[in-house]
Amino acid sequence: MNLLPNPEQVQILDAARSFLSAEAPVERLRPQHGQIGNHDARLWPELAELGFLGLGLAEAHGGVGLGLPEEILLYRELGRQLISPAILGLTLAALLAARSDDPALLNAIVSGEARIGLATPRGAVTLGPVSSGAFHLIEAREAAWAVAWTDDGAALFRTEDFGAAEDILCMDSHLTLERGRLEACEPAIWISAADGDLPRRAQVLIAAYATGLAEAARDMAADYAKIRQQFGKPIGSFQAVKHRCADMAILAEVAWCQTVFAAVMVQNGGPKATYHAGAAKLLATDAALKNAAQNIQVHGAFGFTADSDAHLYLKRAHVMDFLGGDLRSQKAALIGLAAAL
Amino acid sequence: MNLDFTAEDEAFRAEARAWLNDNVPRGPRPTEGQAMRAFDLAWQRAQYDGGWAGVSWPTEYGGRGLELTQQLIWYEEYARSGAPEAALLFVGMNHAAPTIMARGNEAQKAFHLPKILKGEVAWSQGFSEPNNGSDLAGLTTKAVIDGDHLVVNGSKIWTSNAHLSDWQELLVRTDPAAPKHKGISWAICDMTLPGIELRPIMIMTAPGHHHFNQVFYTDVRIPLANVVGEINDGWSVAMSTLGFERGTASMSEQIRYGVVLEKLVDMARERLGEAALKYDEIGQRLAQLRAEHAAVRAMTYMIVSRSAGGGAMGSEASLMRAFFSQLQQRTRRIALDIIGSDSLELPDVDPWIRPYLRSFSTTIAAGTSEIQRNIIGERVLGLPR
Ligand SMILES: Cc1cc2nc3c(=O)[nH]c(=O)nc-3n(C[C@H](O)[C@H](O)[C@H](O)COP(=O)(O)OP(=O)(O)OC[C@H]3O[C@@H](n4cnc5c(N)ncnc54)[C@H](O)[C@@H]3O)c2cc1C
Repeated sequence: MNLLPNPEQVQILDAARSFLSAEAPVERLRPQHGQIGNHDARLWPELAELGFLGLGLAEAHGGVGLGLPEEILLYRELGRQLISPAILGLTLAALLAARSDDPALLNAIVSGEARIGLATPRGAVTLGPVSSGAFHLIEAREAAWAVAWTDDGAALFRTEDFGAAEDILCMDSHLTLERGRLEACEPAIWISAADGDLPRRAQVLIAAYATGLAEAARDMAADYAKIRQQFGKPIGSFQAVKHRCADMAILAEVAWCQTVFAAVMVQNGGPKATYHAGAAKLLATDAALKNAAQNIQVHGAFGFTADSDAHLYLKRAHVMDFLGGDLRSQKAALIGLAAAL
Repeated sequence: MNLDFTAEDEAFRAEARAWLNDNVPRGPRPTEGQAMRAFDLAWQRAQYDGGWAGVSWPTEYGGRGLELTQQLIWYEEYARSGAPEAALLFVGMNHAAPTIMARGNEAQKAFHLPKILKGEVAWSQGFSEPNNGSDLAGLTTKAVIDGDHLVVNGSKIWTSNAHLSDWQELLVRTDPAAPKHKGISWAICDMTLPGIELRPIMIMTAPGHHHFNQVFYTDVRIPLANVVGEINDGWSVAMSTLGFERGTASMSEQIRYGVVLEKLVDMARERLGEAALKYDEIGQRLAQLRAEHAAVRAMTYMIVSRSAGGGAMGSEASLMRAFFSQLQQRTRRIALDIIGSDSLELPDVDPWIRPYLRSFSTTIAAGTSEIQRNIIGERVLGLPR
């Protein structure tokens, strides 16, 4: 047993970190660059060239032949840099296309040409060979395809399947949001949870991304607490602030350890994977939400502005939390499982 | 100890309810800009014309000269009627006016108080600075006496609605050599004076939402006649203002939140069903919130009782503020859990999501929750500094 990354995995992590911090600094989301929509899709071809879009895909399908443990290292960095969660659409759609042997689609994804949005349930939906229900489409406005998943499985739809989608301002205004509806629609690709572990993979990738959010908020707070002075001292020397930052570190560690554990469990397959993936998603989104809120508080009034990045982590944390549908049923699903210790 | 309202109180309540019923503006309140200013001033004016603007204000300044109990009854009826909060007028009504009443001279009272009450002017608060927020007493915006004027240079920040205000309560350093609490003055600043420039600052609630500003002062000449209290005694003047803010000023908000909570209970019942309300985690949390909002009402009554007994607004007001500011956040948060994934939407008419995002400011503005706790620890409990 060893939960630390091996040298090859460390290399992947370093490559992701240096590419993203150079090409996608969080400053790109500051008000002077516009507060609505984003341009992260311009990164897809470059990420493709670096192999990041096919990390977990078999070489036979044009991928790198690695798996979820490597993908979570990438996703943690994606979260830290607030990269559009549309990338989750790419990762999941690639797996769907690989299972259904659709080389044209696969190629479009792995090369970074395809745009794939996310479709997340608004309330109870039926997802399967015939699918119905109300959905939110996230980052799908310019996409031909959208991926949806529930505990039952995962599906790829054409965005036009959702009817005349209605544009709505998203709380996280850097993402496009639309309301759409499926009426007895056959997805282009459907893989049930029994035939594939896509819902679990989605949960672990969300957990990794959310851990990145939690860590970025933690670091932003701690950095600020070192330099902001009040009463002639750095505010980090006041225990109220110091302990707040310490709590953020605790939550981020909790989230990351469980995410790594879950990634290995899902990669190995087996009956306990669902349990651990659910736990990782729950803990990491909770850490992301709490740390983002604490970070605002540590920054005082500056944290409440749009000029600060603090609110971006909060809003993205809510988006990641709501992905995959109703939170109460997500929790109900976890408590409904057998113990997996 | 009793909760009996007199026959006059009840008559007053009935009168208030009837007036509100006929006069509350029905359309949605614009949330920013000149439209919001026009709305708030007009609504204040309507309350003034109806005789409701200054229930507990002395009659000499145009108020009704009634007790805090009647003020409380008015706020209760106000909240019940769903009347919009004229938030732009908060600083004028709850800081500037009480401060001028307590510490201003006759000329200042005669000029400013009627204008504030009638909804003719809006005020902003120029206290915080880039390097002095929690440590307000360390403020460095400088004012030098030149003849019969103060000449002000420096900058304030987080000044809510400076761009919509006519007047400002401004704290300046008039004696840099004195100990930090002893060299500050409290001045009334005309926002149209030359040398004042604003930098708008957007807040996190929604794209392009302009709420506060950085304000720059370059050789701004304020008549000495506009200093409230003595020169260099501005800290004690300011503390009386903050005393209001932490005490009775937020009464109306405290009362209003009880109504917000009941709307959440209704929304939960409608969306999740009666069973969820009783046994589900959301129902349990709503029950806790109901109890806590009941306590807020009780605490408000206690503050009114203490103040009617002639007690000064002491450090205990920090207990209320520390409790209520976090309760506001818990209350706003549960809306998202009830609404579910549709919380990702920011609709044009938005009773829940923007207010949720807005609630992150309640533990920062007017003294952070950490500073409130320092005050409680040191001044209420006598813990060592
Ligand atoms: C919505 C909003 C509206 C506002 N409107 C106005 C206005 O109209 N006019 C005006 O003058 N100001 C206004 N303010 C400013 C407000 O008064 C300040 O934000 C507040 O006093 C905190 O100062 P700061 O933002 O500089 O934070 P800082 O003082 O820098 O605090 C940063 C963090 O350090 C903590 N901290 C600081 N000192 C201590 C300590 N001794 N012990 C423990 N923790 C500590 C704080 O609690 C906070 O978490 C507004 C603020 C907000 C959010």
